[in-house]
Amino acid sequence: MSELWIPLMVVIPLICALFVSALSRFNKTIKVIALVVAIVIPIIPFLSNYGLHIFGGFLPMTDSITGMVYHPSIVYSFGVLQKIFIVILGILAFLVLLIYINKYKKASGPYIFLLFMGIAAVTALLLTDDIFNMFVFFEILALAQVGIVAASSLDNNYEMALKYMILGAIGSPMILLGVGFLLAITGSVNITDIVAAIRMGKVAITSPVFLMSCGLIFFGWLYASGLPPFHTIKSGMYSKAEPHASALLQAFTVISMVSIILIMFRIYSAVPIFEALLVVFSAIAMILGVTMALTQTDYRRMIGFLAVGELGFIGLGIGLGTQFAITAGLFQAVNEIIITASLFIGFGAIAYLSGETDTRKMGGLIGYYPKIAILVLISGLAMAGVPPLNGFQSKLMLVQASLSCGYPELSLLAIIVSIATFVVFVKAFYTMFLRPKPNTLKISNKKAPKSMVFAMVVFLIIIIVLGFFPGIVTTGISQFAGGLL
Amino acid sequence: MLFTQLSVLITAGVLIIIGLLAAIFIDNIIKKIIGIAFIEEGVNLFIIAIGYRPGGIVPIIMPNVDKAYYAANAAYPLPFGLVLTSIVIGASTLAVMLALAMVLYKKYGTLSTSVMLSGNSKGEGKDE
Repeated sequence: MSELWIPLMVVIPLICALFVSALSRFNKTIKVIALVVAIVIPIIPFLSNYGLHIFGGFLPMTDSITGMVYHPSIVYSFGVLQKIFIVILGILAFLVLLIYINKYKKASGPYIFLLFMGIAAVTALLLTDDIFNMFVFFEILALAQVGIVAASSLDNNYEMALKYMILGAIGSPMILLGVGFLLAITGSVNITDIVAAIRMGKVAITSPVFLMSCGLIFFGWLYASGLPPFHTIKSGMYSKAEPHASALLQAFTVISMVSIILIMFRIYSAVPIFEALLVVFSAIAMILGVTMALTQTDYRRMIGFLAVGELGFIGLGIGLGTQFAITAGLFQAVNEIIITASLFIGFGAIAYLSGETDTRKMGGLIGYYPKIAILVLISGLAMAGVPPLNGFQSKLMLVQASLSCGYPELSLLAIIVSIATFVVFVKAFYTMFLRPKPNTLKISNKKAPKSMVFAMVVFLIIIIVLGFFPGIVTTGISQFAGGLL
Repeated sequence: MLFTQLSVLITAGVLIIIGLLAAIFIDNIIKKIIGIAFIEEGVNLFIIAIGYRPGGIVPIIMPNVDKAYYAANAAYPLPFGLVLTSIVIGASTLAVMLALAMVLYKKYGTLSTSVMLSGNSKGEGKDE
């Protein structure tokens, strides 16, 4: 057990990405490397101690005049929250790679490279205590996401990738500009140093420069999270990637959202309107996500919009700002990664078997694929917050948190959005599985890929276990939330 | 604030605004990408301006330089390090955008983003 494992959580997927890209001619080799590294990623957090890793060994220095402590190099901080998210990400990455490798006889080195670059980038986002390092990995993540969408064989994928890239090329410099403002007023890019400068009163929290930096980084966060006004582009990205890739892309979105929101919370929680802004945008995301999902006929876009609505729940929890509410928001983030991944893979299996993504042209599939139908049904019920599944636990916590903070209207909104999610899902499930099969729908004799069914069973186990024993993750998350305040 | 620093900051602001206007309002994809490059360079210029110190020396410790003199006069090196990284990232982003623009130009035969991103017409639209 050592803190030396902390940087390896980022370094190992990065090196693996480079290797699979360089060795892309050797099909079996890259498949083996990718799978072995995907198995290793969720194991490393268990080998590592909690603590800090200071790159280059440059220890913190104390200013003899002001008494302030400065961190001259990049610092990675590893705690229980990071452990939970990296383990979940690792399990998801392994299952996604398993599906990809089973699906294609000839694996693409550059494609696996992009998957691992994305994994390394979100892991670094979780670990970093340096706001410029956050920006760097934020950009790497955006490039990896664009690459994953561009590499899919779906129609109009390049158009969607370019659209996301253009918006990203506006959103990312805004984050950098916000980082520049923070650097100008605090002289540091280390988040702990910035927070210390704010707490010691060296930065006026109402100064226009500080507020401007808050606004700019907030704008970049909206882009990274796919919250309004970027909700359509994010759901579009999911719909233009292959189902297994969409499962990973949404995990990237959730983790980058959580990472950046926690950094912003540490720096800007003293700004009076910050938490109100979080709650307002989250509430808009919840309403827009679920209402737009109601109108979708393509299942991929439907799940994409539902995922945006679920992101709103996470923002709501963190925006309420109490220990219990933050725990509920972060627990919702863990649940959303698993549930949405399960839905993307489940519906992806149906699309693979029927060759159809338009729900209006489907029907009667429960008779042909009962196993997948049951797995999709349970995942959908978990997303809607039906007891005793994990989605119910986190949403119940959020409703309780809203009430205890004195916002019964937010509890009501959360309940209404959950009911609407249930309606969206039941409508889609009925259309695809229960109503009579249209004559135009041709069912192939193919069987559902075992890797997809296996992935869904793993997700189902996690959904049920976290539903009955939420304390497995909420205890650790609660400790983290307590330390944050 | 010093005139030099102020003028650099104003230039950075003008670059960012021009870039934003180009990225949002111009239809031609190449001009849009040039606008995005303007935004990136404007932000880089802004960060460089933060590290400016009047009469300052280059923040590299040379063998013959007195350390007290260096500490009193060296410019703040952190912004330069950040900008160097930012330039590399900007170059990668531009390369990816240009590659996507090339692919879409081959597909649609036009540089118009409104035609490209509508995704439903092929080979139509202006080539401007």
